[in-house]
Amino acid sequence: MAAGTASAPALDQRRRPPAKTPFFARRRTRDLTLIWLFLLPSLVIFALYRIIPLGWNVLLSLEFWSPYKPARFAGLYHYQEMLFYDDAFWKVFWNTIIFMASAPVGIALALGVALLVNTRVPGRGVYRTIVFMSYPVMTVAVGIIWQWLYNEKVGLINYALISLGVINRGIPFLQDFDLALPAVILASIWQVIGFYMIILLTGLQSIPPNLYEAASIDGASAAQSFWRITLPLIRPSLFLCFVVGIINSFTAFDLIFVMTGGGPGHATDLLVTYIYSSAFKLSKFDYAAAMTVANFLLFLGLAFVANRLAGGEAGAIKRGA
Amino acid sequence: MNEGGTARRDKGGRNVKKFAMLLAAGAMALTAGFMTGGANAADKKITVVTWNIPYYKDGFQKWVDAFKKIHPDFDVERIDMKGTELPAWYQTQVVAGTPPDILDLQGGIWLEYASQGGLTDLTPYLKRDKEYTDRIYPEVLNNWVYEGKNYGAPMYISKTLLFLNRKMMKEAGIEKDPTSFDEMMADAEKMTGPGKSGFMTLNFDWLYWPLFKMNGIDFVTPDLKKAAFNTPKTVALVKRLADLTKKGVIDKISWTGRWVEPNGAFAAGTVGMLHAHAPAYLWFKSKADWVNSDTVGAINLPGDWSTPNSHAFVMSAGSKHPEEAWDFMKIATSGDGAVTFGEQTNNLMGDKIADQELMKYFEKNIPAVVPALKTQLEHFDKLTGNWPFAKDAEIKDAFYPELQAALLGQKSAEDALNAAEQKVNRILQSQ
Amino acid sequence: MVKRQHWPIHLALGIISALMLVPFYWVLKTSLTGENIFVYPPAILPQDPNPFYFVDVWYAIPFLRYLINSVIVSVIVVVANVFFNAMAGYALTRDFPGKAATIMLFLSCMMIPFQVTIIPAYLITAKLGLLNSYFGMALPLMSTIVCIFVFKAAFEAIPKSLVEAARIDGVPDWMIVFRIIMPLTKPAIATNIILAFIWSWNSFLWPLVVVRDVDMQTLPLGLSRFLSVVEDTTGALYAFCVMVLVPGLVIFLLAQKEFITGLTSGATKG
Repeated sequence: MAAGTASAPALDQRRRPPAKTPFFARRRTRDLTLIWLFLLPSLVIFALYRIIPLGWNVLLSLEFWSPYKPARFAGLYHYQEMLFYDDAFWKVFWNTIIFMASAPVGIALALGVALLVNTRVPGRGVYRTIVFMSYPVMTVAVGIIWQWLYNEKVGLINYALISLGVINRGIPFLQDFDLALPAVILASIWQVIGFYMIILLTGLQSIPPNLYEAASIDGASAAQSFWRITLPLIRPSLFLCFVVGIINSFTAFDLIFVMTGGGPGHATDLLVTYIYSSAFKLSKFDYAAAMTVANFLLFLGLAFVANRLAGGEAGAIKRGA
Repeated sequence: MNEGGTARRDKGGRNVKKFAMLLAAGAMALTAGFMTGGANAADKKITVVTWNIPYYKDGFQKWVDAFKKIHPDFDVERIDMKGTELPAWYQTQVVAGTPPDILDLQGGIWLEYASQGGLTDLTPYLKRDKEYTDRIYPEVLNNWVYEGKNYGAPMYISKTLLFLNRKMMKEAGIEKDPTSFDEMMADAEKMTGPGKSGFMTLNFDWLYWPLFKMNGIDFVTPDLKKAAFNTPKTVALVKRLADLTKKGVIDKISWTGRWVEPNGAFAAGTVGMLHAHAPAYLWFKSKADWVNSDTVGAINLPGDWSTPNSHAFVMSAGSKHPEEAWDFMKIATSGDGAVTFGEQTNNLMGDKIADQELMKYFEKNIPAVVPALKTQLEHFDKLTGNWPFAKDAEIKDAFYPELQAALLGQKSAEDALNAAEQKVNRILQSQ
Repeated sequence: MVKRQHWPIHLALGIISALMLVPFYWVLKTSLTGENIFVYPPAILPQDPNPFYFVDVWYAIPFLRYLINSVIVSVIVVVANVFFNAMAGYALTRDFPGKAATIMLFLSCMMIPFQVTIIPAYLITAKLGLLNSYFGMALPLMSTIVCIFVFKAAFEAIPKSLVEAARIDGVPDWMIVFRIIMPLTKPAIATNIILAFIWSWNSFLWPLVVVRDVDMQTLPLGLSRFLSVVEDTTGALYAFCVMVLVPGLVIFLLAQKEFITGLTSGATKG
């Protein structure tokens, strides 16, 4: 941190002007208006497409409702159903937790790649492109290909393992209750690693190079630079990756639908896929809404914890802190 | 560093230009967006939604032409949807108050909508238009009845049958087609080998149920009020199936795959028998040169049981032009309209007379598909897996994961069937 | 000496690249051969590759029309994202009452999966009169929380002295953002462009729900044409996926320059 804080404390003092004089008071109001104006477009979009729909789900979760019938008040019926009668819900709940818990693996891997391609190694552009390339592929295609890679009889993975003599009979990755979820998680990491990489790369690129120069003049080793400069300064990017890791279970929606359809049993169902099937396949919109609320609260709690761990303000870099 | 600095400054100028161009492009796109927005639907229009047949274009136009002869002032809007997206799209439209007039539905999806009052009861129309109703097989029509009311105009019919890989049968020294469950499994065992499995079934929409029915197992009591499947006989069968699956005689994909995986595997020539519905034939044929009427047999399952997975046009309760919609449904599902559809999609239809013409057409043009199609018109009295449950999807969703766990050896047959019975009964009683 | 430093990096990146490329290679290979992928043993090399399936895709759906629609929607989305996210990201670097609450609000907005918002989102878009329009397709994606935080993080890394100096000189905030800060955070802009483009480009469920007119459909909606149950479309399916992928890759390759120019001597010193 030493190098990073060199010029910061002075700035922090300068940022807080004496707010007493009328000139500054006016300026402050104008500033505030401007800040909110800057936030406005995003807030409007999120209000329309996130907050109102969430409110709709909250209301729905307290009713008996279907597209064909007028609503009746249901109280907490759906929540009781969810918590006490639906064992699939709990299975799916834990699957979601496991899925999210796997995010750090992908992020660590991506960080390694990002650090490597952020060096001056010749051909770094090529590597970067290759690692990123999986991200823009349509998820449906990713699902179909991985489903085949995992195939018990004809899949490439089993073919390779058998050819190498590791196993003598194909492993039915996606048909196995214990292996299916890890298999889906691996495919998901494959797809999303390019995304993590690009976020981390953005963070790495924002680090002023003179910090490293100063550090190396001070005789810091590579490891020291990493722990004391790189890691603290890419904290916002890391935080972002964790949040993305949490919501990656949404993005894995198509992947799961294509690869396993949530099966075998509910072994690969996540909250989001289970909610979707409950709503649109079973027309249990009201019940799905209750699960949506549960899902939201779970994720929000995790995001809150992540935010706290990252030091608040979404991992803001607090110079001089 | 110096180099970077000058480059950056140079770029500043170019950046402004790039930015301006981006802005201009954005503005143009925005105006284009607003101008095309909200094209108001014409009043005299019916909307028809088809189920995953985007390639069916000429034929659809023929339907529209025929329809316009009766209703020249009407327009027909056509939307095609994949089965996986159709429910989400349709129910959104229902909530928004703009449901399409006519909808092509497969299997048991219609039950949920019909039981909640989302579909138009077609019984009065069917009673009135005798000349139409008489053309349709009564058993097929009957598949679309819920609580005494008919909700569907049958489109193409399909039910399960058994495809035989005759090459593999010959290699295993099997001369005779199986005539019982035991024979079928014994044959499957003979054909099993490294990388090869003897038997495979599709599992979605109750398509696997004939395997249970042929062993004398009923899913529910005849009044549809209570689960009837939890018997020692079922336990024994499930154990046997699980054991055969473990040995690789029954391919695991049977219990986990949907469409592409099982049919793709059969096309690869590594599966001895495939229990699937008729459309599977042309799909795997299109993937494998070795498939012809000599190498692939198509017979009824031993005991002649089968599960239908047919399609029908249904009408939304919110349709503003039910009479016109009904006319369109008749055109599409009977007479020339049905023949056109059958020819272009290689299916048999619910219209008896059209089917005679279609069989002639297939015998002449695609003889390979004839044996499979013939089974589709046989044993209409032995349909199973087509119970009119209001909560069909929910019951399936409660039952199958338990059965699957038992079949794949994750749970004991007893535990799985007990849990399934409890869940199914809970749903049946909540209706 | 340089070589000795580089080969372990090459080795590590080479292995990772190979692992990343295998599935991708299969997509490409299948798009050129259209072979049944359920055959054993898998054919490692493409047998008799031909561009037939790409031509097939071009004619099987109104490719050009869908392409134009996709481009229009994506341009709207990308432009809106860069502006709106930069503005919001900048606002979040300032201190103001309610900042922590706003950040939590943004974070919580991320936690609502799109799949559960389909019905209300449709009703809202209908109320706005935007059904069946490019703008209606673009609107929900026009600002994305991840990208706001990308900007926020990048802005925070800029030495505050620069901004403060400008503010004391009386430069208005919008000018600070667009003239001083943004040119310094090109990697963040590039990231915004890349991600917003990919999300908009591959967006499937929303256009499916909101667009009815065949002429207004975007490329991913052509997908269902290649997931047919009655004919073999394997080759065309993969060709289609490759064709949809290419623009995203091109954008990435173009934006790569920003990552490379941003790279300065420091990183390798360690």
